[in-house]
Amino acid sequence: MRRLRIGVLIVLVLLMLLVPQLGGDYYVHVFALVFTNVILAASLRPSLTCGQLNIGHSAFMSVGAYASALLAKNLAVPFEVSMLCGALLAAVVGLVIGYPSLRLRGVYFAMVTVAFVEVIRLIAQLWVPLTRGMSGLSGIPKPNLLGVTLVTKASQYYLALFLMLLTLLILWKLESSRLGLIWKSIGMADNLAQSLGVNIANHKLLAFMLGCFFAGVAGAFYAHFIRFLFPPEFGFLMATNILVYNYVGGRGHFAGPIVGAAFLSLLSEPFRGSAYETIFFSIAMLLTILFLPGGLITLPGKLAELRWWNSASAHSPSPAA
Amino acid sequence: MVEQRIRSQSESCRVSAALLLETQGLTRHFGGLAAVNRVDLRVAEGEIVGLIGPNGAGKTTCFNLLSGFIRPTAGTIRFDGEDITRLRPHQVVKRGLVRTFQLTTLFHELTGLENVLLGLHLHSRRSLGRALFSRRRFPPDEVARSREVLEFTGLASHADQLARNLPHGHQRVLSIAMALAARPRLLLLDEPVTGMNLDESGRVMALVKTIRDRGVTVLLVEHNMKAVMGTCERIVVLNFGQTLAEGSPAEVSTNAKVIEAYLGAGLAHARG
Repeated sequence: MRRLRIGVLIVLVLLMLLVPQLGGDYYVHVFALVFTNVILAASLRPSLTCGQLNIGHSAFMSVGAYASALLAKNLAVPFEVSMLCGALLAAVVGLVIGYPSLRLRGVYFAMVTVAFVEVIRLIAQLWVPLTRGMSGLSGIPKPNLLGVTLVTKASQYYLALFLMLLTLLILWKLESSRLGLIWKSIGMADNLAQSLGVNIANHKLLAFMLGCFFAGVAGAFYAHFIRFLFPPEFGFLMATNILVYNYVGGRGHFAGPIVGAAFLSLLSEPFRGSAYETIFFSIAMLLTILFLPGGLITLPGKLAELRWWNSASAHSPSPAA
Repeated sequence: MVEQRIRSQSESCRVSAALLLETQGLTRHFGGLAAVNRVDLRVAEGEIVGLIGPNGAGKTTCFNLLSGFIRPTAGTIRFDGEDITRLRPHQVVKRGLVRTFQLTTLFHELTGLENVLLGLHLHSRRSLGRALFSRRRFPPDEVARSREVLEFTGLASHADQLARNLPHGHQRVLSIAMALAARPRLLLLDEPVTGMNLDESGRVMALVKTIRDRGVTVLLVEHNMKAVMGTCERIVVLNFGQTLAEGSPAEVSTNAKVIEAYLGAGLAHARG
């Protein structure tokens, strides 16, 4: 089973490495954006596992994007440094927001994060001398990595792939360690965790900041890839999308947000930017809640169960017959 | 000092060890209701003390106060000589005062072993670096220690089962195992044998005695009188948040006020 899983992973990674050769620039562009969405969705997971409903993740992406873009544009900072600064700034902002508000539970914390998305959007919109406000920030340099500018879309695609795999590896290692066990325990029964000596406030904060950091990484890549930042893009809608990736994919396993983000962003591609995108997302969310409460990752199990049930009922005639 | 010790020894032959837990005038109001009212609780090292009383007497509130989950309105709590009245739950545990819960006893979606591993939280060496670069999920010594605790509580064969799939009796025992993994000096058990049959509750109470014999002091809340009378050396009876009586099982079970508190309430209820 374990070998099968590793085999599937290797095949998937090889396929992703081949995308620029097989598809054109269009596919490269779409998949690079899918990878950023995967980073965003997966980085929300630690916080969700702790039972914190964060509907403001796009704000931290925005912080990372603007910070990295401005550093590179105005100070000619190389991408690896500007990305790290953007991600660290996102984590620090996460600390400032999280420290007081993570003491709130459930819906109250969610409300703080929603308000925060709007605050960050308004700052980006109104601080015109720095961010150019609603004119949008343009002229962001292409990613300049170790002195080499990544000119082609394909090279930028590989950068996105690398960032995504690295992020997933780090998050996976953390989740499968004792730290991940503590996050799960806080999400399941925080008072019981406390009674075993877990400092739940600190662990929630750590999980939250970690998520903010990687949202900042995704933002930084996005900024240098699209090369144009527009404040409303990082609004409430994007934040809910990140949350929906997690729920549609499934909350029960690390693969959930990855599957959710890949599935939804690929399927919604034809509607991108139109009003249909929101409708599509709400329908996907509704269908999942109704028919697959455990998310898409539980689908193979459900199908196997169904097949077993069908074959069992076909072989054994019912006594009434 | 010497006189005092001699006197206390004559009062109760067991109380010869040092005082481990002592509350003075412990009080907690919820609105106008005094859920716990000027309770002076003393537990000596090595004792098994039962805290009993009719429903709503303030037993669980008492536990919540002792373990730092709620703050007292008045009064102090001293543990091993140190004032722990204002400490937060995770700080209380660090001092060696570990509790179990009446309702949320386990992490249901984790295995038995993982539950106990979480109990080891305070005694685990952990760091982000270790989490990122270690090839193993958990340090082998922690896993070994957890298996030892499971073995001791008789759950070794259930280590890899999800906690929610365990029978009720085993779930209760697992919650004790988690608390033991935290290496308590004083263990607070909130209704450890609730919902168990005679056989199961007998085994759990035997386990409690073994735990005490290994040097852990026990304070327990329980409604099963047979279990309480058979295990505890000293019993404190609460009623309407106040201490009603205190003494050996024999003294308490023949105390007129205690009988009235239990049966009187029952009679009034029957007439109503």
